[in-house]
This record gives sequence, C-alpha cells and structure tokens, in this order.
Amino acid sequence: MVQYLPILLLIVLVALFAGGSAAGSRALGPKRPTAAKQGPYESGIAPRFGPAARFPVRFYLVAMIFIIFDIEVIFLYPWAVMYHQLSTFGLAEMAAFAVVVFIAFAYLVSNGALDWGPRQRRGGRAPVQLARSTTSSVRRVPRPVELVNGVAPRPLDSPPGARPAPAEAPNPYDQPVKSA
Amino acid sequence: MLAALLADSSGQALAHASAWAVFAVGAAMILTGALGVVLLRNPVHCALMLVITLFGIALEFIDQSADFLAAVQIIVYAGAVVILFLFVIMFLGVDRKEAISAEPTRFQRPLAVLLGVVALVEILALSRIDHWSAGTPSQSGALSGPGSNVQKLGQAIYTGYLLPFEMTAALLVIAVVAAVVLSRRHQPSASEMSELDQEELLSARRFTPPDQGDQS
Amino acid sequence: MGSDPLFANGLNLAVWLILLGKVLVIFLIVLLSVLFMVMYERKAVAYLGVRYGPNRAGPKGWLQSLADGTKLLFKEAFTPRNADKAVYKAAPYLMLVPIMVAFSIVPIGGRITIAHHTTELQLADPQWGILFLLMTSGLAVYGVILAGWASGSKYPLLGSVRASAQMVSYEAVLGLTTATVVLVTGSLSTSTIVAAQSGHWSFVHWNLIHTAVIPFILFSIAITAEMTRAPFDLVEAEEELSGGYNLEYSSIDFAWFYLAEYAALVTNSAIIVTLWFGGPNGPTIDGHSVGPLWFTVKVLVVLYIFVWIRATLPRFRYDQLMDLGWKRLIPASLIMLMVVAGFQATSTSGGNGAGHWLAQREWGLAAVGGAFVLGALLWRAIDVGRQASEVEEARESRLSLERES
Repeated sequence: MVQYLPILLLIVLVALFAGGSAAGSRALGPKRPTAAKQGPYESGIAPRFGPAARFPVRFYLVAMIFIIFDIEVIFLYPWAVMYHQLSTFGLAEMAAFAVVVFIAFAYLVSNGALDWGPRQRRGGRAPVQLARSTTSSVRRVPRPVELVNGVAPRPLDSPPGARPAPAEAPNPYDQPVKSA
Repeated sequence: MLAALLADSSGQALAHASAWAVFAVGAAMILTGALGVVLLRNPVHCALMLVITLFGIALEFIDQSADFLAAVQIIVYAGAVVILFLFVIMFLGVDRKEAISAEPTRFQRPLAVLLGVVALVEILALSRIDHWSAGTPSQSGALSGPGSNVQKLGQAIYTGYLLPFEMTAALLVIAVVAAVVLSRRHQPSASEMSELDQEELLSARRFTPPDQGDQS
Repeated sequence: MGSDPLFANGLNLAVWLILLGKVLVIFLIVLLSVLFMVMYERKAVAYLGVRYGPNRAGPKGWLQSLADGTKLLFKEAFTPRNADKAVYKAAPYLMLVPIMVAFSIVPIGGRITIAHHTTELQLADPQWGILFLLMTSGLAVYGVILAGWASGSKYPLLGSVRASAQMVSYEAVLGLTTATVVLVTGSLSTSTIVAAQSGHWSFVHWNLIHTAVIPFILFSIAITAEMTRAPFDLVEAEEELSGGYNLEYSSIDFAWFYLAEYAALVTNSAIIVTLWFGGPNGPTIDGHSVGPLWFTVKVLVVLYIFVWIRATLPRFRYDQLMDLGWKRLIPASLIMLMVVAGFQATSTSGGNGAGHWLAQREWGLAAVGGAFVLGALLWRAIDVGRQASEVEEARESRLSLERES
C-alpha cells in the first residue's frame, strides 16, 4: 500500500496549492459585486428565461450506452493481461464476447439511435424539415426566393408589395403548400 | 502515529497501522457519503455524495489488496454510472429540491425502516458467522502464489468463470435493447418498413414546403 | 513490479524527504510545463498563421502566460446569483486534481540514486497504472458537467451538456485502444509497458509498430476529443455558446480551468509517449542513458502535433463528431483489437519460423476476415439506421404540418 503514498502526497500538495491561491485571490482581488455582474451572461442581453430544464433523450441514451461499453472495456483489461497465457482459447472466448456486443451495437446503429442532426442522404436533395423534432434539433429553412432566382434582396424599408415577381421557372421548394 | 511513521519502524507494524488508517478513512467516507445521499435535499448534491461513498469503497478495496477492483470501482461507478445519474437529474429537469412530505407509495416509510433493520441484522449475523464477510484480508488465501492481482482475476474469469463472463455479454445486449426501446419512440427498421412508410417517405421527398414570403 | 526500491527498507526520514522532493518536482514539472505549453501553442499557432504572437512580456514574450496567470489572481472572484454556490466553487478543483495526479504514473526515465537511496524517476507505479488514464478522463467529466450546471446560466449548461456527452462518447475508444497496448505488453503497469518497448533499434519495438499504427491513430483522435481540443472543441464554440461551460467563471477559478486544460494536454502527451513511443527509451549518448532527454523530446514533438492540428483543421459539427466517435472509431478500435489479438495468438503458439509466413498466421488472418464481415454488417446497419430515421423524420415533418394547417 506504501506505493500509493506518493499519490496521496501529490493530492495533498495540489489541494494546498489550490487552497492557497484561492485564498490569495480572495485577499488580492477587488470585491465590487453589482447586479449586472452577477446575473447570467448572455452577451449583454438581459435574460428572460432560465436555462432549459430538459434536453433530448439522446444524451441520456449516450450515457447509457457508454456504461455498456465501459463494462466491456473493463472486462478486456484482465483478458489482455492474461492473453499470452490463454492464447487461442482466450482469442476464441473474447471473440465470442466481442461479437455478441458488436451485434448489439449494430442493432443500436440500425435503429438510428446514434444519429444526430441532419441526415446525409445518398442522392437527391433532402426534404426540408419544417419543425424541430426529436431526431433533429436543427431546423432547416427553405432557401429564400431571391437567392434561388438570383434577384437582389428586397430593401428592408420597401413595402411588401414592391417585391419583384419570381422568375418563370420557380424552385419547387418555394411553392405554397397544398392543402393538407 | 506520525512519530511511528517517521521513526525507522519495522515494516510489519507500519503496514498494520496504515491498513487501519486506510480502513478508517474509507469507512468515514462511505458513511459521510451515504448520510449525505439520504439527508441532502438537492439531487445533484446527493449524487456527488454518492461519489464520495464510491471513493470510500475504492479505498477499502485497496485496503484489501484488491487494487484492480479499486480502479474498476472508480472507472465504472464514479466515472460512468454516477455520470448517468447526473445526466438524468440535470437533463430531465428534476434538479430542483424535492418535496419529501408527500409519500409516493403508501406504507413506504414503515417498510423502509423494516427493511433497514432486516439488512442491519443480516450484516451483523453474517459478520458473526463467517470470516469472509468480516473483511479479514487473505483468510481464504486468494492472493497466495505468484502473479499480480489483475493476472489472478483474469485467470479466474477466463478459465473458471467463463460461462458467467459470456452471460455478461447477453446481459449487455439486453441493456442495449432495453435502453433503445425505452428511450426511442416507434422506430421502424428498414426490413419491417411497411408500404405505408415507404409511401410516406416518398411523399415527404416530393413534398414542397410553404413559401416563407408574404405574397399571399 | 510496482515496488519502488525506495521503499525496500521501510520508511525513514531520508526516504520521506526524497519522497516529498519527488512529489514537489512532479508538481512543478506539470505547472511549469503548463506555463510553457500555453506560450508554445500561442507562438506556434502565430507562426503557422504568419504572425508574431505574444512578444512583449519577458524575453521574446515567453513570460506572457505567467503574466496572464498573475493578472487573473488580482481579478474579482464573484459568484453568479443563480449559481449553486458550493458546487460552483468546487467544480474547478474537481477538474484540476485528477489531471494533476495522472502525471504521477508517467515514467520519465530510469533510476536515480540520492544519498544511497535508489528510486525510480516515476512518482507511483501501481500495477494497474494505465487505468489511471481512464480514471482521470472519467473524473474530468465531473468538472465540466458540474461547472455548467452550477453556473445557473444557459450557455454554460449547453456547453457542458455537449462536452460531457462528447467526452463520454470517446472514452470507450480510449479504453479499447489502450487495451490493445496492454494486450501486446501483457501488463497494466506503465513501467512494464515502457520496458517492453526497449531494445536495440529502439523504435522497432515501439507499440506504435507492434500494434500496426492504426490503434495509435484512433487513440490520438479519441484523446483529442477527450480533451475537447480542436478540431473537437465545440464546447467552446464562441459563435454558438459564447464561451462554453466555464463562461461564468472569473479570476482564479477560471485560471484553474485553463490550467487543467493544458495540464491535461501535457499529461496526455506524456501518456501517448509512454504507450506508443517507448517512453524514455532511446539511444545512449557517450554510454550514458539519457531517458529524461528522449522523453522530453518525444513529448515536445507530440505537443507540437497537437498544436499543428489545432492550427490546421476546422471544427467538426456536433453530429459529425458523434458519428465519428460512435459509428467509426468504436467499431474500428474493437475490430483492431481483435485483429491484433489474432496475430498475437500465432506469434506465441505458432511455428518455429519454418514454412510460409501466411501459414503461421492463420488466426490473425481469420481475425482479419471476421473484421471484414463485421465491418460489412456495420456498414449495412448504418444504412438501415439512416433510412429508419429518415422515415421518422418525414412522418414528424408531415404531422407538424398537419397540425399547423
């Protein structure tokens, strides 16, 4: 157990150093709290809402799956240490274990459980998603007419009616929606 | 005791004294953490107290010369399981102080007291009956013979206890499937994608979004 | 294994003094290398961008980081109104301590004799030494997640959610690739890992070569992501999060985060050198073993590569980051582990050098074949998963439209 003594001493030293400089900072730094200083920092805008209370379940899923892989990794270490004694027998037993876990992993991936954000599709343009959903926190906005048709953007102060008519071949993505 | 440590003492007495010191510190950490988990109101603070308990347990493992298990204890429990707890607490919005006056289930409290007493009696009885539960190191001679702690563990798992090890893989699979089923909503796989889904997919591809402009 | 000759005769005053000296030296090495590293990085990035970099404080500006640190000491340390006070104050220390302690398992090179007491140039050598890497990377998540949560502010929370999910995702890769090294070496102790890489023509014995390079590359990617360094530094994406999990920190508390970040960089580079580049092994000069010199040179090279990557590569998007971690690196490192294991199985039980080399490596070739099968399975799974989420996405899009109209 004496081999852990240096680690203990190092922890004590780091703690002393941290405590000492925290005390030093308290002694040396000014104390002028103001309401603005102590409020949440949002680039100068006064916040109107608190932080989000909920996050996508996907984060939770990641932590859950991480535990599973962590356990697998932990099993790997004694095996790796003993590998040269176990040899081909060890290879076979760990291969069985790893293949089973790998198939579970493939199930996970095939379920789309590990997909984040917008999909990359093979071929063709992606359908524009109109709402945020559980599969994507990114909302894609259809391209503005002006950019599609190469017309200069309407000036900000002009009335809405003053907009130039779209060109003769409108982009299908910019058509009004048919009745649902 | 410091004087004993500083003086040129015999290794035996020193090892004995330090083993006791480690045990005492570990036990104190376990108890502090456990009390904190129960008594603190903020769930995040409770989770952190649980980490202290886990570190105390790791110390006790070191005290028992089970070094590898101590590392595993920290990596798996403190490094993964409590992180998952924190994720759930923070990300599902339950990190406010709980109202503990309301009882979710009837008879929960008397039942808890009863179970606590039963567990305590059980532990005391076990420690009277058998040596292995009393935490006396090396009674069963587990560490005798050459090779390190990890090697012995590996030898045991991958020869004698091969079947339980392979069953662990099955357990992990069940955990993966359960996590997916519980946290994902209806999610058709490609093989079971019905014609309706295919249609829906195609119509979504053909779908044209509403104009963002104001020409209506 | 695992026993420093220093403790052979029990503890007496001289041993205690040497021990304290070693602890102090390791501590100072980490601290000073952080001060050095901050400047090294700023200078290198500046030169890569054809700028001068900081050049005012001290000779050629090399005291800049010290000046910055001192300045932070004189800044006001305030606690935000919404903060959870205790956790807010504790988070930087939770981040700093494990990372500082992790350096103690790194062998710096050889032994040294002070006043008839021989000791290793390594603070501690527990038999499970390399697990320290997993332990510290696991515990570093606490600092990040608690700092973000305790600040009681939006952007730090978002940053910490991102960062912790990222760190957690890449930890498994770290574990799997490290297991490859353990497999080749047959030991978890860092000193044994280094000793196994020694020999004439040193670099032939490096684990980098013994494990066929790929695990090293996977490990480096994973550890970069683990430290949330560029190109995986979404945590501090200023454009989106204004600062990340440490946004609400000021003064010395902020300095701890900074210190921890760079201490992690230095420590992890040292661990990379230990695991893959033979640690302090190297040719002798004039018959003297110069382990610490080789060790320093190797660490500096690795550090430079980290800086170079930061200066070169653009930042990943979050879904790309998660895709890379889960769908590419984890399967690749698991498969690589089995392939290396297959080749190792033959090299112990295999023939005596006679016959064709293919005939002796049937297990390794079987592993490669199996790897191809599993890789194809994964490829198909990714495809199916993409389709499945596409259907779900389309349905949700449609439902939301129906709701709107």
